[in-house]
Amino acid sequence: MLDYIISIIPQMLAGCQVTAQVFFLTIILSIPLGLLLAFGRVSNLSLVKHFIAFYVWVMRGTPLMLQLLFFYFALPSVGIRFDDFTAAMIAFVLNYAAYFCEIFRAGIQAIPKGQYEAAHTLGMSYVQTMRRIVLPQVFRIVLPPVSNETITLVKDTSLVYVLAMNDLMRTTRNLVQRDFDITPFLVAGVFYLLATLVLTVLFENLEKHFSRYDQ
Amino acid sequence: MKKIEARNIYKRFQNLEVLKGIDLEVSEGEVVAVIGPSGGGKSTLLRCLNKLETIEQGTIIIDGETLAKDTGKGAEYASTEDARRIACKMGMVFQQFNLFPHMTVLENLIEAPVQVQKRNKAEVIKEAEILLEKVGLSDKRDVYPRKLSGGQQQRVAIARALAMKPAIMLFDEPTSSLDPELTGEVLRTMRELAEEKMTMVVVTHEMGFAREVATKVVFMADGYVQACGTPEEIFENPTNERLKHFLNVIKK
Repeated sequence: MLDYIISIIPQMLAGCQVTAQVFFLTIILSIPLGLLLAFGRVSNLSLVKHFIAFYVWVMRGTPLMLQLLFFYFALPSVGIRFDDFTAAMIAFVLNYAAYFCEIFRAGIQAIPKGQYEAAHTLGMSYVQTMRRIVLPQVFRIVLPPVSNETITLVKDTSLVYVLAMNDLMRTTRNLVQRDFDITPFLVAGVFYLLATLVLTVLFENLEKHFSRYDQ
Repeated sequence: MKKIEARNIYKRFQNLEVLKGIDLEVSEGEVVAVIGPSGGGKSTLLRCLNKLETIEQGTIIIDGETLAKDTGKGAEYASTEDARRIACKMGMVFQQFNLFPHMTVLENLIEAPVQVQKRNKAEVIKEAEILLEKVGLSDKRDVYPRKLSGGQQQRVAIARALAMKPAIMLFDEPTSSLDPELTGEVLRTMRELAEEKMTMVVVTHEMGFAREVATKVVFMADGYVQACGTPEEIFENPTNERLKHFLNVIKK
């Protein structure tokens, strides 16, 4: 059995590479986009606010798998064609940005009005107030839900199999079907668990760092 | 010299008129106590002075610079940039302290002088340490606000406002959310400031402070300045009926 596991590791690692690409690109792009959307959502611009609310409703209100299929299979019918990886990235980033937008919005709104007022009386501009006073406090508040969302993403990456991308999950399934052996499932499980373990520890440390002022 | 000139101030929240033509003048070195029943517009008046609230009508001149000018068709404000500069000539102390919880005491003090006034950091730190000594909190320099008592937090808030070298200090019920045994330390700090001839406007329910420290007492109720005078005139020989009633009620 050990020999078998060693024999499938290279293929599974190749699958991990696709999974990791989807994961990291989604995180790197959707968090800033989510933050930007959150600022729009709490702004005074009513058109922007309503548009973002609608966007969030659509992205959270439909399955991510449907969105993946839409960007890959439906858009070519109106002449927009993406390769599988690009389509997957668009769907993941837009979907996760909607969730991050709501997390950041809640975080921003949790900051008491008095913080803005104190900054105002000290002559701070909107940008200074956000950068120096509000956001550092928001980051602490949103860490637990962001951590949650990040760990969900590790597992959601497996949805790219519907676009026939050879991520960890699809590679595993192919191996199981080829060899009539369920061992690859167990190995894949260990891979996912290791990834979430690393993230859990990382976020625990971040939370500890950011909560130093409230103990 | 006049530090604050507010003339004919009108302020409305939706349909509720809170200030109905208020005049307030504060000269250099004066300590003005604003007293009166809750909902009478005291805090709102203070918050209008530094544009935490905007007024509908009236003129506000701070330290010789016009923040808002009455045009006859409403108040016209200075540009955002100018208004910000004028507003931060006034340090403000809030009922809820509003310290920045993610910064240590020292960081709270130096934040705005360094970020807004762009002053030399080492110099600002030196001054901040002197201010902390003045409010008796040198040993709390590197502590986060949550570790401090309410009275200590409020003294840090006073020091933070002073670090900007303001021309005027505004106090919005600075002791109202403190336990009774903690109000003394905050009032003492304010008294020391008054002795150094800092120009101050204090919205307060502490009649003892108004009587002993203020040079002028303003009594506000129902959106009007009902009476204004020296502490003796207000507390010993009140003539205004609304004021007499108020003093009677709080005596009980």
